[in-house]
Amino acid sequence: MNKVIVKAKNINKSYKMSKKNIVKALRGVDIEVKKGDFSAIIGPSGCGKSTLMHILGLLDKPDEGTLEIDGIDMISLPEKKAYRMRAKKIGFIFQGFNLIPTLTALENVVLAGKYGGMTKPKRIRRAKELLSMLGLKDRVNHKPTELSGGQQQRVAIARALMNDPSIILADEPTGELDTKTSMEIMDILKKLNREGKTFLIVTHNMEVANACKKRIRLLDGKND
Amino acid sequence: MEIFRNMWRRKFRTFLTIFGIVIGIFAFTVMGSMALKLNKMIDGGKRYITGQITISPKGADYMSGTSGMLPVDLLNKIKDVEGVQAVEGGVSLMLDEPDPDDPTAGMSFGEPASIYSFDPNSNFVNKNWQTMDMKEGKLIDASSEKNDISIGINVATDKKWNVGDTVKIRDKDFDVVGIFEKTMTGPDQYVFMNVEVARELFVEQNPFLKSLQEKSDEAAKISEKELSTLPESSRQQIVDAKSFKVEDVSTTASISWKDGVDPEAVVGRIKDQFKTDVIVYSPKEMGEMIDKASATMNAVILGSAMLALIVGLFSIINTMVMSISERTKEIGIKKAIGASPRSIALEYTLEAGVIGLLGGAIGLGLGWLVATIINNMMASKGAEIFLLEPSFMIGVIVFSFVIGIVAGVIPAMRAAKLKVVEAVREL
Repeated sequence: MNKVIVKAKNINKSYKMSKKNIVKALRGVDIEVKKGDFSAIIGPSGCGKSTLMHILGLLDKPDEGTLEIDGIDMISLPEKKAYRMRAKKIGFIFQGFNLIPTLTALENVVLAGKYGGMTKPKRIRRAKELLSMLGLKDRVNHKPTELSGGQQQRVAIARALMNDPSIILADEPTGELDTKTSMEIMDILKKLNREGKTFLIVTHNMEVANACKKRIRLLDGKND
Repeated sequence: MEIFRNMWRRKFRTFLTIFGIVIGIFAFTVMGSMALKLNKMIDGGKRYITGQITISPKGADYMSGTSGMLPVDLLNKIKDVEGVQAVEGGVSLMLDEPDPDDPTAGMSFGEPASIYSFDPNSNFVNKNWQTMDMKEGKLIDASSEKNDISIGINVATDKKWNVGDTVKIRDKDFDVVGIFEKTMTGPDQYVFMNVEVARELFVEQNPFLKSLQEKSDEAAKISEKELSTLPESSRQQIVDAKSFKVEDVSTTASISWKDGVDPEAVVGRIKDQFKTDVIVYSPKEMGEMIDKASATMNAVILGSAMLALIVGLFSIINTMVMSISERTKEIGIKKAIGASPRSIALEYTLEAGVIGLLGGAIGLGLGWLVATIINNMMASKGAEIFLLEPSFMIGVIVFSFVIGIVAGVIPAMRAAKLKVVEAVREL
């Protein structure tokens, strides 16, 4: 039986928009991700997909509920350790690639290793290996603006893989790509999954969702 | 490296910010080095003035240079005051006679080249300044010829006088026997001269004293026999004229006290006994007066430089705040991939520090250049107005970096506190 990587129970999150307007984004969501999973969180806009991803990615804290990653209680984790945990245990792939524009492809990837506590030679070596693996060997010294959308997303994938995280959270990873490039990116993610990487993909694209082995549906902030 | 790239992103804004710091540090360098030079001069003067008790005739103003005469009899009486070790009368006058057609030509920043009278036969010793370090030759002493002089480095440079040269001062010939090491204070501008010769020059330049001396010389030619034949009124005038002696001419006097004696007590006794004749400047009072004057001067000079720096400081804060709000997304990305608030704060603080450092280095370089050019132009007149000490320049560089860091702290803290989820919403 595969090891449980992410175990979230009864996750509640509200946002106070004004004194009287409190939006309940998540209402008692449960989620479990096992090693090797290739899961999608799906649901209509405003169902709480992104909020859930922020909580699972330790970018935000729930008002209520429990969250364990690799068996570690992330809710009571002090702020200082949460940053290191985020760097080491979680990889992020964003819709808009979100590479730092002043840095080259290599430097963008290396940065994740720096925050993950890797030594300089090791992070440079690993970043080069990852970029080569993703077919960007001859693009390492290019800045994001000099790369195509697909190439930028591949750099973002390399960055997410840098610290060999327990889980990779992808938020609409093909949202800004054309169909052909979207398929290429999904093929890369599937290949990485076959090699043992665990993915949790937030999407409202059914093609992407259908490409996943498992789908978790959210509706009005609850498990559907 | 990333810091420079971030600065390069907004070249013009970075340039303007650095320029603001450049102006501040330039002003700080120029005014600070001017304050250092003035302080050095003042310290030298203070050391000298607090090593002795100085007296001047009643009615004279020591600071403005308005002079009167101190009779030898009076100085001899002061010598007998309890605690007084020695009294040395002397004169002081400018090295060069003012040009009647251009009387302001000799005016310069700092002390003008002056003649400092020296009595080789006096036991007077300034407690803080007993000798001069010599660059070449020797300091005139009791064994020197009357026309031997020792000169300050600025006088030597300006006049191109060397040891062994016979030079002309106010139409009299003198032999240069020594040049002092640079002191950065008064003596650089002095010619040390035997008091007897200095008195002659002093009388020569003073129309009233010159006339008295001429009358005295004329009167000296009249024998006692001839004098007895003259009417009573004329006889008295000639006796009065004969009584004038050059050695009586002293515009100021320096008093040293015996070892173990409180100089302020000696000052008190001289004041008690001779308050109708002389003004007494106590070492303590003079020291306090100098401190007060230099503190005011430093406050004015450094205050204006600080003002320029504060403007620079705010320009860094402004730049960093704008830069951070433009880079919210970037901060969000960094935090999302594991950057701690500390590393974010450090990154932005360092960026501000580098802006400060760059501005500081350029400002210091410009300040150094301007100060050096002006100093070189003024050196021949002995009026260098800037003192650029290495420790001061290192201090300026460190200070500019610290200014940058201080300016960067608040914006950097804002960046560090940025909620990842809020930044991520922009992603």
